[in-house]
Amino acid sequence: MTVTTSVDEGAAGELLVILRHGPHSGIALKEGLDAALVAAAFGRRVSLLFMGSGVAALMPGQGKGPLDQKGTLPTLDMLEMYDIDRCYADSASLEALDMSADALVIDVTAVDSGGVAQLMACHSLVMTF
Amino acid sequence: MRYAILLLGAPYSSQAAHSALRFAQAVIARGHRLEAVFFYADGVHNAASLATPPQDEPQIVDGWVDLQRDHDVRLEVCIAAALRRGIIDAAEAARHGKDGHSLAPPFTLTGLGQLIDLGVDCDRLITFGA
Amino acid sequence: MILHTLNRSPLDSSVYLQALAAMTEADCLLLIEDGVLGCLPAQAGRWPQLTGRLFALREDLASRGLVDACSDSITVIDIQEFVALTEQATKVVSWY
Repeated sequence: MTVTTSVDEGAAGELLVILRHGPHSGIALKEGLDAALVAAAFGRRVSLLFMGSGVAALMPGQGKGPLDQKGTLPTLDMLEMYDIDRCYADSASLEALDMSADALVIDVTAVDSGGVAQLMACHSLVMTF
Repeated sequence: MRYAILLLGAPYSSQAAHSALRFAQAVIARGHRLEAVFFYADGVHNAASLATPPQDEPQIVDGWVDLQRDHDVRLEVCIAAALRRGIIDAAEAARHGKDGHSLAPPFTLTGLGQLIDLGVDCDRLITFGA
Repeated sequence: MILHTLNRSPLDSSVYLQALAAMTEADCLLLIEDGVLGCLPAQAGRWPQLTGRLFALREDLASRGLVDACSDSITVIDIQEFVALTEQATKVVSWY
């Protein structure tokens, strides 16, 4: 897995949405993604950063919950349609869950601590969910 | 400066609502303009008109209403987050065939786009999470 | 300077590690709510290299009986000074 330590100028955007909750664990992840989708639909340049348990949203093989709850995988599939193509994941969180950025449900760039700090700096607005 | 607050926690369940209300009062006391408080996720419970806390506890809903009345702070509640949690105004109640409504009057249901606009337009957006 | 706020006790939640990972040497960290449990001297090891950039909200310390127990290395501020920090910061990021 390639880990990016430095985020280039092209990463700059208006809104960075940090997703720190896993799928099927309450609705925090979905509500964070909804905020990102609405911002993108309103024409804002949005980046996503999966961090902590949030990286579990990127795990392949997710299904519906026992009450038929959809989870967030269908939403991730829609990101491209909303032109959200700058997605990042915290490399330490990926490693903690034995995940590799090469085998996830969407394309993400793995970033280390320095990269995370740069993402914070190059977005004018940061929202954590 | 122009401020906005994003509140994600229900009153009493967490300290987030208390912290947000204290911060809101302090922002105004320092001479800033507080444009709006946006209630999202469990924060929508701050708009519950039927909340009836004991008299000797902080009256959080009243605290928001006072801010709106005294300082013209908009109280904006995410409609999707609210409806799913049983916070509903008269118009939505009629539309969905419910026999009651539960949104306290100065709060208004609005879309998430409003939160994004606040974040972009205001100088500072401060989140209180739970 | 980005102001980071943390409202979780480091005893319960590792979110403080995410906050620290996201900080640069110019950033500040403000402990509020249960985050102020991190002010006790026994917790000092959690905040390496934050001297001068680590703050705690006085009213949350006071309500928990922790004002006198707070580490000397932490700057205790009131709610007005919290607002002042947000004025100085370019943005505020909340960890919860």
